Amino acid sequence: MSAPSEAAVRVWHYDGNSGVRREPLLVPAGEDRFMLVDLGREDGPYAYADLVAQGAVDGHPRFGLKKRPGWSMTFAEALPEAVAARLPGTARYGGVIDRIGLWPAVGAFAAVSALIIVGIATVPSMVARLIPRSVEARLGSLMVGDFGERACTDPAGVAALQAMAERMQMRDGVDLRVVDVPMVNAVTLPGGHVVLFSGLLQQASSPDEVAGVLAHELGHVENRDVLESLVRQLGLSVVLGGLDGNVGGYTNALLSASYSRGAEARADGFAIDALRTAQVSPRPTAAFFSKLAKSEVKVKGADALLTYMASHPMSSEREQRFAASAGKAATTPVLDAAQWQALKGICGAGSGKWKGSRLGF
Amino acid sequence: MDQETTNARAFGFAGDWREFAPIAFTNLLLSIVTLGVYTFWAKARERRYLWSRTRFIDDRLEWTGTGLELFIGYVMAFFLFLVPLGVIQFVVQALAIRGEDGLAGLLILIFYLLFLYLLGVAIYRAMRYRLSRTYWHGIRGGSDDQGFGYAVSHLWKTIVGTVAFGLLVPWAMVSLWNERWNRMSFGPHAFQSNGRMTSALIGRYLLYYLMPIVVFIGIALAAALIGPTIAGSPEKIQIAILLTLVVGYVGFFVVLGLIALTFYAAYFREVVGNLSLGGLEFEFDARTKDWLVLFVGNVLLVVVTLGIGTIFLGYRNWTFFVRHIQAYGSLDLDDFTQSTTREPRQGEGLLDAFDVGAF
Repeated sequence: MSAPSEAAVRVWHYDGNSGVRREPLLVPAGEDRFMLVDLGREDGPYAYADLVAQGAVDGHPRFGLKKRPGWSMTFAEALPEAVAARLPGTARYGGVIDRIGLWPAVGAFAAVSALIIVGIATVPSMVARLIPRSVEARLGSLMVGDFGERACTDPAGVAALQAMAERMQMRDGVDLRVVDVPMVNAVTLPGGHVVLFSGLLQQASSPDEVAGVLAHELGHVENRDVLESLVRQLGLSVVLGGLDGNVGGYTNALLSASYSRGAEARADGFAIDALRTAQVSPRPTAAFFSKLAKSEVKVKGADALLTYMASHPMSSEREQRFAASAGKAATTPVLDAAQWQALKGICGAGSGKWKGSRLGF
Repeated sequence: MDQETTNARAFGFAGDWREFAPIAFTNLLLSIVTLGVYTFWAKARERRYLWSRTRFIDDRLEWTGTGLELFIGYVMAFFLFLVPLGVIQFVVQALAIRGEDGLAGLLILIFYLLFLYLLGVAIYRAMRYRLSRTYWHGIRGGSDDQGFGYAVSHLWKTIVGTVAFGLLVPWAMVSLWNERWNRMSFGPHAFQSNGRMTSALIGRYLLYYLMPIVVFIGIALAAALIGPTIAGSPEKIQIAILLTLVVGYVGFFVVLGLIALTFYAAYFREVVGNLSLGGLEFEFDARTKDWLVLFVGNVLLVVVTLGIGTIFLGYRNWTFFVRHIQAYGSLDLDDFTQSTTREPRQGEGLLDAFDVGAF
């Protein structure tokens, strides 16, 4: 047993093996080590560098030991300077932050977070453009397939739909179909799948209205908006995952909504150009948007399920934009009367009688 | 050496909120600037403080869990649970859009069962993790049981409890609590939990159960009695409907909430009161009134501070728990050796993913 030197100090000690509290003396052993010396018992040597500050108990500093859970010592008396100088500083916030200080760390984290948010705003569109169209197409058919029994296939109607698509300069590879769902809406799915719901055809009072909506959806296909939105959603859920459920959800909704508005405006611009090129009047589309705005409440439930595919906020602003784009050039209806009748009957005799899915579709 | 717990309370809390405030505020700040990633380290820091200010008999508790463990737990939960959840949602939607309602429904059912099972795993493992990181006298708790068997119990007892018109829910709660704690230990001693379905518990639950029916019958009776007298005037009808809505709202959310609280208070007294460890018996003495004060205080704190007070909720809940828990008996420290249970390496990530509270 070494003789207690001047630097020796009384501690309370648990060794992590037994719950019995000992009160040994801490005795320095060389420059950077110490022993715990009790009656008839000597533990150590331990390195000061292995100590981990654990705050204070009633003003007495307490230390643990690295890789020795349960091991602790609490100083019962004032610390001799020789010992105090070698003890590690308090760990407060966690490794990096303790090293560089709270405020520099806050600044650094804020800068990185700002970069990440900028990334969320720009990277998804780049990533979406990097994904080959074929992969996107496969993803799209995974999501919707051919709509099974609900796809409308009346030959005359399909021919009329094709005629309208050609007039609107639909590019090759776009899969356009009408589905027997009584919703006044249309969606674009990844991989250039454009779906018009039969409710839209039933409610439209002229083929030009349908052409305007179709052109809008073709705008989404052109800009690959749907894929971009999927990539964005994925990225957001990973980045915001750490936040408390609600905070993450709201931030997510906010970022998606602001993005979605931009995409809708771009698709509208595309539709206006397409109508002008095809010499189809934009006025019926404007009228149609105003009509849709009124029925929005009714569609909301179903819309919520389809939000991530494409969101179509109807507003008087959009109506005005279409109305304002009407020029002085002559226009002709997109389909003749016979074609229009055929398109309306594309779902056959059973049109509109399709029974609603119990799952809300 | 015997540690007697006689006159003085076995548990005590020595901190105060002014000491905790700097921790809470810097935690909030760091969580914001790291887009939430720091919350795991914040949680570890908060617990380290709360545990270190909590005295049991003659010494403080110690929390040794780290933010990294909680973070890894979360990442694991993300890949084990949240990613499959996203995929299943995607598939269900794809099936529904194709008109395959039957398949979609089956998938939803399977998903629900899987969810319930994983919830059991999560609750069990969160408790095991917390015990394994809690030290007293240099000794920790834990369990060698992985919790998969408990999760099976959790699955079927929850279903049975609900299927019988919800009447067996208290039974499921008590028996699952027992099952959970009987698999836990601290140092060399196993916890023993013998919570029972007392008449007080059943009575309060029945009160809670029957309350909506009573309110409904009451409204129907009132409508039948008062209805004819006001039938003539549209204004009176409007007022009557408004009154009914207000009374119904108060009945359901305030009265029902209060009764739920009386049930919960009784439940917690029962299950903690029948918990023992070695020679120690535990007791929890919070009455319904105490829970109410805690609950209303929490709500006011959050509302008055426009949400910032949320950072003090953990502190309030912990001090409530420590103020009301009590232990009697003695613990023989000569036999009080280190736990030999396996230490889980990750935190309670799965439980965080489910957003479930501590006990």
